[in-house]
Amino acid sequence: MDPMDDPTTGQPHNVADVAEAVEVTSAVPVLPVLPVLPVLPVLPTPATGPTEHPRTRPHPVAALRHVLGGIAAISVKELRGRMRGRRAFVVLTLYLVLLGGFAWMVELAMEASFNNGFGQSAAFASASIGQGIFAALIMLETLQVVFLAPAATAGAISLEREKQTLGLLVTTPISSAAIVMGKLLSALTYVFLLIAASIPLTAIVFVFGGVGPEDVVRAYIVLLVTALGLGAFGLCCSSLVKRTQAATAISIFGVLAITVGSIFVLIFWVVLARDDNGNGHGPIKGRPPEVIAYVNPFLAQVDVLCGTESFGGTWCGILSTLVSGGTTANSSTGSNTGGAIAPPPVAVPVPAPGVVVPDKGVGTQGLAPDGSAIAVQADVSAFGVVRDAFWPRSMVTWLILTVVFLLISIQFVSPTRRWHLPRRRTQSPGPEAV
Amino acid sequence: MSAIVRTEGLVKRYGTTVAVAGVNLSVEAGEIFGIVGPNGAGKSTTLKILATLLQPTSGIAEIGGWSVTRNPDQVRRVLGFMPDVFGVYDDMKVWEYLDFFGRCYGLSAAARRRTIGDLLELVDLADKRDDYVQTLSRGMEQRLCLAHALVHDPQVLLLDEPASGLDPRARVELRELLRELRSLGKTILISSHILPELEELCTSVAIVDRGQVLAQGKVSDIERQLRFGAVLRVRVLAEGEALQAARDRLAADRDVATAEILGDGTIELGFRGDDAASARLLAEVVRDGLPIVTFARAASDLEELFLQVTAPDRAPMDAA
Repeated sequence: MDPMDDPTTGQPHNVADVAEAVEVTSAVPVLPVLPVLPVLPVLPTPATGPTEHPRTRPHPVAALRHVLGGIAAISVKELRGRMRGRRAFVVLTLYLVLLGGFAWMVELAMEASFNNGFGQSAAFASASIGQGIFAALIMLETLQVVFLAPAATAGAISLEREKQTLGLLVTTPISSAAIVMGKLLSALTYVFLLIAASIPLTAIVFVFGGVGPEDVVRAYIVLLVTALGLGAFGLCCSSLVKRTQAATAISIFGVLAITVGSIFVLIFWVVLARDDNGNGHGPIKGRPPEVIAYVNPFLAQVDVLCGTESFGGTWCGILSTLVSGGTTANSSTGSNTGGAIAPPPVAVPVPAPGVVVPDKGVGTQGLAPDGSAIAVQADVSAFGVVRDAFWPRSMVTWLILTVVFLLISIQFVSPTRRWHLPRRRTQSPGPEAV
Repeated sequence: MSAIVRTEGLVKRYGTTVAVAGVNLSVEAGEIFGIVGPNGAGKSTTLKILATLLQPTSGIAEIGGWSVTRNPDQVRRVLGFMPDVFGVYDDMKVWEYLDFFGRCYGLSAAARRRTIGDLLELVDLADKRDDYVQTLSRGMEQRLCLAHALVHDPQVLLLDEPASGLDPRARVELRELLRELRSLGKTILISSHILPELEELCTSVAIVDRGQVLAQGKVSDIERQLRFGAVLRVRVLAEGEALQAARDRLAADRDVATAEILGDGTIELGFRGDDAASARLLAEVVRDGLPIVTFARAASDLEELFLQVTAPDRAPMDAA
């Protein structure tokens, strides 16, 4: 089919052209068997006319509609499969029954602790029980989201690969971005449904008091963003790894790393930094880098729970120990990075998106025993927790990570990737004698 | 008449393995174009490149004038692809499956409803509309996959080994279906290592081996070029000396290279001429009074051709 085959193509202009022509004919392995068909008259490749299409860039609005249509297509398809039959609703019911039972157990246990004759005032018991139930429910829901979200998405792409349906999907004009987003949203829809279904149950804490609506809103923001981030993480694993089992294992391992692992690293840092009279070991001194704490959704919830407490409560204590490097280092290093724990006069609170609650007393101020009340008051400057400082940063971190995970996923779903690793290029040097 | 599917010097290398080594194809609109070759010849790789699933190492591949590397989105809109191995989604009904792909191509709800009905009629799955996809038989899955490739009414269909794993009846049905599609004006590229089905179906074929096109064109043209003729089988109502005499009469013809008695009154001729020449020969020998029972080209021409072209010792690609 090479036009150079035909001696009538035209007179070569010079010797070099002849040489080139000869080389071309020998390089292109035109079947020595036959000159294909009674030689098409010269017509050097009729396709040169209409083929010079530039790389087209569609109009942004059209492109957006295209992507949204794709997301809708994937979501409808996925949800038809996931929501079919009774399974989804049975699971939802069981989940609510278990969550409700758990809340009831916590309520009973806390009530019992107030009835054990230490003479604590019943006036504070209700608020305290409310906070306890809230903490228990939120932590349980976080635990559930942290494992369910990546598990729901870990098979999204790899299952398509295993079942060999991805090839059919990517030859449609649907974009890789739409595939990834559609998969993420449809997988998370069920997780979001579970989260939403738990809201009325969580609202039971308002019966007891001690927790404001804005605390609940904060906790649910953390839950939703965590579900999004970890869902994107599971999807990323799914697109990188061929097999669903491997993708699930990696995403569960990742979840353990950001939860248990980050706590371990923080404790490790705090302990070593305290050593040698606070001089630490090598680079490990002072406060641990806060970024390690940002990736842990449980710590974000701890910060939210800290917001419900009076000063010096358990949750605030956990946070200040892990994030600020412990009480001993707190006063000296508290101001150097402007972290979650900082002296109130200096630090400017980072406003939460949507919820602005500058300062509030939740009516539990006096919960501490009378004897220590003054001591607690005195600690306010050292322990003063800047509201809404830690968890918003954690959430911003997760939103950024979500975007990164999604971009990686899109690249690996695309059959012809646009980003090439540099080492791949070295394999295709231009001229070659095939 | 310009080519609707065209590749030029198409090369795909995986590390040091060369899967496709400079394939030049040119398919006219409205053709059923067969790509024939043994396993591992590069058929599937070529089709995958055309289907925008693989990036070629070098070379040009175009469908409908759009480059598969530069304008994959446009290519995907004029193209329906059915891979050699494919899966179906669980938990999906037949109509939902097609509805999903209709959405992927951006069809409106009304258009989807109409198209799904038409396609299910076309591939004869109308009564399976509400069945779950995973309950379909292999042949039905194959037809459903073909229907999915037709959802957006593409100009070009790429079918990679569509008949593999089908029983003879399903194969015949598939062939009928492809003929019907051709009558609707589709251009069909079909790859196979099963030759007889292609021979009956295809208007042109390319014989591919070890990543190269060894021969391309109309089946009859390739035959002539490769073989300097065809094989004719003539059965005469004669025995013994009369049969010998008939053989001699046939062998005396100017277009007959060889004439060999196979027994049962059948004589096999190596024939150089084209169809007109064989018609002339038949008329002459009938006029001469030979008692001819049958006079036909040998069946499975393409299969023999294929074996001949792809014989291991032939190795024309060693020219590199």
